[in-house]
Amino acid sequence: MNTIIVFAAGILLAAGPGAAMTQNDVAAPALATGVCAACHGPQGRSVSPVFPHLAGQQSAYITLQLDAFRGHLRGDPLAQAYMWGMASQLSDDAIKSLSDYYASQKPLPGEPGDSALIAEGQKIYAQGIPAKAVQACVTCHGPKAEGAAAFPRLAGQHVEYLIAQLEGFRSGTRTNAPIMQAVVHDMTPAELKAAATYAASR
Amino acid sequence: MSKSPYRPARIVAVALAQLLLTAPFAAHAVPSFARQTGMACEACHTVFPELTPFGRRFKMNAYTIDNLPQVSGVTTDKEQTLLLNQLPPLSFMFQGSVTNTRKAVPDSAVPGANAQNGQAQFPQQASLFYAGRIAPNLGAFVQMTYDGTEGAFGWDNTEIRYARMASTKFLWGLSFNNNPTVQDVWNSTTAWQVPFDQRSATAPTPGATTMVDGGLADAGVAGLSVYGYWNDSIYAELGVYRSAPAAAQIDSTSENVVKGVAPYWRIAYERQWGRKSWMFGAYGLTAKLYPGGDAALTGLTNKFSDWALDTQYQFIGDNHLYSIMATYIDEKQNWDAGGAVNPSDTLKTTRIGGNYFYQRKYGAALGYFSTTGSADAELYQQVDPVTGFANNKPDSRGAVAELDWVPYQNTKIALQYTLYDKFNGGSKNYDGLNRGASDNNTLYLLGWLNF
Repeated sequence: MNTIIVFAAGILLAAGPGAAMTQNDVAAPALATGVCAACHGPQGRSVSPVFPHLAGQQSAYITLQLDAFRGHLRGDPLAQAYMWGMASQLSDDAIKSLSDYYASQKPLPGEPGDSALIAEGQKIYAQGIPAKAVQACVTCHGPKAEGAAAFPRLAGQHVEYLIAQLEGFRSGTRTNAPIMQAVVHDMTPAELKAAATYAASR
Repeated sequence: MSKSPYRPARIVAVALAQLLLTAPFAAHAVPSFARQTGMACEACHTVFPELTPFGRRFKMNAYTIDNLPQVSGVTTDKEQTLLLNQLPPLSFMFQGSVTNTRKAVPDSAVPGANAQNGQAQFPQQASLFYAGRIAPNLGAFVQMTYDGTEGAFGWDNTEIRYARMASTKFLWGLSFNNNPTVQDVWNSTTAWQVPFDQRSATAPTPGATTMVDGGLADAGVAGLSVYGYWNDSIYAELGVYRSAPAAAQIDSTSENVVKGVAPYWRIAYERQWGRKSWMFGAYGLTAKLYPGGDAALTGLTNKFSDWALDTQYQFIGDNHLYSIMATYIDEKQNWDAGGAVNPSDTLKTTRIGGNYFYQRKYGAALGYFSTTGSADAELYQQVDPVTGFANNKPDSRGAVAELDWVPYQNTKIALQYTLYDKFNGGSKNYDGLNRGASDNNTLYLLGWLNF
């Protein structure tokens, strides 16, 4: 038993005092590394397409989303399952510093995709679908899909994640973006997929 | 317990395993984790008790991710000295079951008569959990269980964990626990292997089992291990276990007492890509045991050397989820302290299982299990009906098929059929009293609630 106690004591002493994983009063990088990274990956680069990349995302957009999770204004199924809890105790300051932290990380390069799909998507992205009065994505998300303030970066994002969001806008599970709900209202699944594939490839 | 004549070493491989007949099988799904994190069960579990990549990370992080209002304390240096959930992370689990074996087991008192078949248990098992963060980097998973076959409360799987991030890519921690592999985060090692984690508490189960497959845990141990996880891919763990049965003192009245400490090790490589993950690993332990049981804890010991391989593949889609888990365990037993005819024996176990769930609601699982080993006339004896080994061999083999309905994330109804091709060394008349392996085929209906 002495072996165990000495072993334990040695390691605990080496460890020093604990750094807390509370969500406030903790520097954003520590919170991001200790908590957010479990899903969103180190430096905001996630592995699973269930979780969006946050690296290089617009700070204002992240702030809006965290605020929406905290206030239960964004209620798509995965947001409820994961983010309602995660954001519930965040202070405004913590949200701001997390947003700035992720915005300052280097974004991922574009995801390669099917070239025919990308060509079709590029058309929708740049020109919209005039026949259905669908606005061009470029208007808000920028020529390189880099986003601007409250409009998110789409470039380099998981295609599967983007498609899930577009479908969420259309089905009404994600309701915190009225502009997008209007945009996708008349789009077909194939058009959504093409637009998402192009945007993610930038 | 069986009425077998006392033979110290035999207890190791056989009587301990017979404890498994009545030992509770623990559950991993704990709603207090959901309350603490504010996240739905599906964040950590595909379907409980199987863990997702996030669930594995949460466990390795010492269950500390917390999103509840806190009672906290800090020093003037801003060091956090207290961080308590305003409400304690308590959960309750209730399992009820009905078990029907193909042929009823013999009456325990009246010769020639049979026990009643189709046994209902309400509860089969009821547990109270304290599961969640207890300090900034410290968390607990503590389970107290009322066991329906024993009719008493007892201490079940318990783990206290300390963990911290050393860098953005390296996490390390300590685990204090009472069952080798209970601290493991994959569902291919012995303590939590899906779909073998739940089985009837009253139906006969094969007698021979290896040390890392519950043998050492049933003898009563306490262990400490240190682990590290790098870049979400490479895991390594080293630990030691020491005897800690429920007793005022550990002496000649105890049985199977670990000499010194029993080292435990675990390595694993995991790759995650998209919605898939694949892990390949190895684990093992070495235990030198004093037979005890009226013999002083000195002199020769019996040595058990276990090494095992395991692998797990998971795909977690929005609608379709499937997993495959497998393990192979190889045990060498050296009987220097006596108790077996052979100076050394071997025991090997293979288990392969897989499951599929649709929308985490409707599922099915299949599993294959096999244990083989050297024949030993003293270790494996024809003593009792059902649990005896008339052929002096430990071999058992069979399959499990299960249907699951998960109407809510914390509620599971399982219908399971276990089929035995070989049981305790034989197919026909394996116990010398005309019981065949297939007579132990078991139909098991389980209702499992966590709240």
